[in-house]
Amino acid sequence: MIMPEQKYRNYLIEDAIFPFCKGCGHSHVVTRLNDALVELQIDPSKVLLVSDIGCIGLVDNLFPDLHTMHTTHGRSTAFATGVEIADAIKNTSELKTIVIIGDGGAMIGLLHLVNAALMNVDITVILANNFLFGMTGGQNSNFSPLEFITPTTPRGNMIPPIDICNILDGCGAGFVARTLATDKNLPHVIAQAIAHPGFALVEIVELCTEYAVKPNEITGKSLEEILARHQLSLGILRQSSVRKEFGVLYKEKYEPRVENDNTSSEYIDQLFSGSLQKQMGIVIAGTAGERVQSTAYLLARAAVMSGLECTQKNDNPVTQGSGFSLSEVCISPTEIYYTAIDEPDIIVVTSTDGLEELLSNGTFSRASEKTLILADAELSLHETNARVVRYNFRKKMSPSRASMAGVFLASLLVDIVPPEALQAAIKERFGKGSAAYEKDFSQLREAADSLV
Amino acid sequence: MTPQSGHQHRKIRSGNQMIAEGAIRSGCNFFSGYPITPASGIFKSMIEGLPKRGDIALSAPDEISALAYCVGASARGCKAMTATSGPGFALMIETLQYAIITEIPLVLVLVQRLGPSTGGATQGGQGDVLLAEFCTSGGYTIPIFAPSTAAECYELTMLAFSWSEVLRTPVIILSDKEVGMTSESVDYMALRDIEVVNRTGLQALPSNYSAMERHIPTYDFSKLEEVPKFFTVGGEYKVTMTGSAHDKNGILQKNSPETIEVLRHLQEKIVNRTFDMSVVKFDAQENAETLVISYGITARTAREAVRRARLQGRKLSLLNVLSLFPLPEKKIAHALNGVKRVIVAEENLTGLYHGVINHLFANRTVIGVNTIGRMITPDDILRAISQDSPAGDGGA
Repeated sequence: MIMPEQKYRNYLIEDAIFPFCKGCGHSHVVTRLNDALVELQIDPSKVLLVSDIGCIGLVDNLFPDLHTMHTTHGRSTAFATGVEIADAIKNTSELKTIVIIGDGGAMIGLLHLVNAALMNVDITVILANNFLFGMTGGQNSNFSPLEFITPTTPRGNMIPPIDICNILDGCGAGFVARTLATDKNLPHVIAQAIAHPGFALVEIVELCTEYAVKPNEITGKSLEEILARHQLSLGILRQSSVRKEFGVLYKEKYEPRVENDNTSSEYIDQLFSGSLQKQMGIVIAGTAGERVQSTAYLLARAAVMSGLECTQKNDNPVTQGSGFSLSEVCISPTEIYYTAIDEPDIIVVTSTDGLEELLSNGTFSRASEKTLILADAELSLHETNARVVRYNFRKKMSPSRASMAGVFLASLLVDIVPPEALQAAIKERFGKGSAAYEKDFSQLREAADSLV
Repeated sequence: MTPQSGHQHRKIRSGNQMIAEGAIRSGCNFFSGYPITPASGIFKSMIEGLPKRGDIALSAPDEISALAYCVGASARGCKAMTATSGPGFALMIETLQYAIITEIPLVLVLVQRLGPSTGGATQGGQGDVLLAEFCTSGGYTIPIFAPSTAAECYELTMLAFSWSEVLRTPVIILSDKEVGMTSESVDYMALRDIEVVNRTGLQALPSNYSAMERHIPTYDFSKLEEVPKFFTVGGEYKVTMTGSAHDKNGILQKNSPETIEVLRHLQEKIVNRTFDMSVVKFDAQENAETLVISYGITARTAREAVRRARLQGRKLSLLNVLSLFPLPEKKIAHALNGVKRVIVAEENLTGLYHGVINHLFANRTVIGVNTIGRMITPDDILRAISQDSPAGDGGA
């Protein structure tokens, strides 16, 4: 096998004595992996071996020149995915990342295998399947054949083994193979897997001499028969490079470009002067989809445009798009410390959804004689000490402009923000679309005159 | 209406957005996340912010993967961050411990909500403070910073990145729903710019190096508190990482003196820098005999309560702890000088942080102000302030 011109003749530790039991298939896996690396002649500084928990996890120290990460149980594929993505996108994409995992790890970390295959990250997974947990006493795994006897399946295993190759094939894996540890072609299969651009998995079926052999009276030779009995095929089951690997796709999708980012780069200029003297709490309540929270944002923006400080918090049912929508805005001439509203100064309520939420969250009962409530004329309000102003916001304006109408009317009646600041915030937000609001506002100015 | 000057650099930003901005300012170039209220805003902001710069932000299939991707990416040289809430943090603990023992820098944002379990997704809370701090087997100190405003979210995120690099360790930002999801006016001119610490130790080998020259200890230090140089997985130097107890070469060892030394080093490198890491805001009033201590969202309430109490003519000082761990004992002790009565306010059931700083209070009167399911109000704290219990009775 080794040609005289080969630079790398061996990746294994010199005169290695493997930490595995006599006859254990893991020794085959390790030496075949070494043969594959020799076949590929990869610079060892460009190989990362990510190992998992279990006997097979002891391999990292056997390859002294490779980078190694010995990880937590089942998570090896996830760590490897992180390394590989960073390598492919932020580095030179030269690193070959090889995961070596047992059957126990493959099941506890199944999600990571599935996601790596779906993403098609360029990693190679060597799955050493010996049907059981060897390190902890030979317990059965999800890869154990039916009727397999282990300390935890003393009368024989009842649950069929997982067909991991089939599962990952269903996830779009580009290279999937199942071989016996004793297969002479194994080094070449592993080499092809490593060379494959994208996710590759080689399931290597082997025997645990300590725990599998005696109670089950099986030998290496019966493995093929066991696999056949469970319709677990051998060979390279999938080999396709149609899909691009994740790093390549990502770089194509997110080619760096300058984007006009109006939302995040723009400072809010102060154009007005607010004359508010103390912190004020405004609660706006209505129905989801009727611009309650965006009204609150424009109010907060108008405050900042007026040199005031603001806070805004929103609430809605967990399903987001139905039921009530509520915002709490605090406005203050000085830094706002406390962001909740214990005693609301102003409540704007434009729908039954909103009113019901104000009743159930206690806001309505916390209104005092100092509170101004602006309510849609059609709502039936409970008795309150607050000053109540009724207006037919929904019908005279529209349901989606009702909250803003309420806020605007409030700004005419009480010192919150200059009404001009609200108008400016709306103009900035809606451009030509602000005409409808302007019409509402002139109507509201007239109404306010009669209310004062 | 005359426009005023000095107010031209303000935006309306949520705490979550400011964490993302602080992260990007710190050179964070890898984010992986899994959606969870109230942390999803950070995920969204990072997805908006990173890929267009040629950096990486992506969705993970669960929180375990999200943090594991960060560990892998950081090992490959990226500055990595993820963000979650209590239920997701519970899943991340195994991987967080791996990052601690393998000395991988990263930032984990924990935006708290009401627990236990699914708890209240849209309700705030400060119930994860000890879960976050003491989540390792062995109780290794994890640096935790707790912002209370959007501006502090920015500054403490930058600080978290810097310390994670300096110490080669994960750092937690402990926010909560009210800090994360509340938007407020932020004056960008007033933001403190924290020094950015870049990843060092990515050196190249001399040309024509021998195989042996690639082998240097992954975890090399001579004094326990020294931080080993970082070498990236996939770089020219060989890196050996393991979640098993290991010697300085990163080789699994069972109870060798060197392995125990490496474990002690994990703790020592952090607690040795406690004073430098300590961040508090101490609003002292002369001759005050009452000190209010708080952190996170409740520190804002405490500020308001203290403001109102002072208007009533009461003398009292306020200590806002921003670096919860390692315990800023000296700074807390300093604030306790001359104080006879301490009020500790936090939004959890039993006074979690109170429990770990209680030994500093000696025989002062101590009152805990605690709630769950709602923010602590200024009135809650004012009631404690106006309790005229005599000093030295041990408190509640």
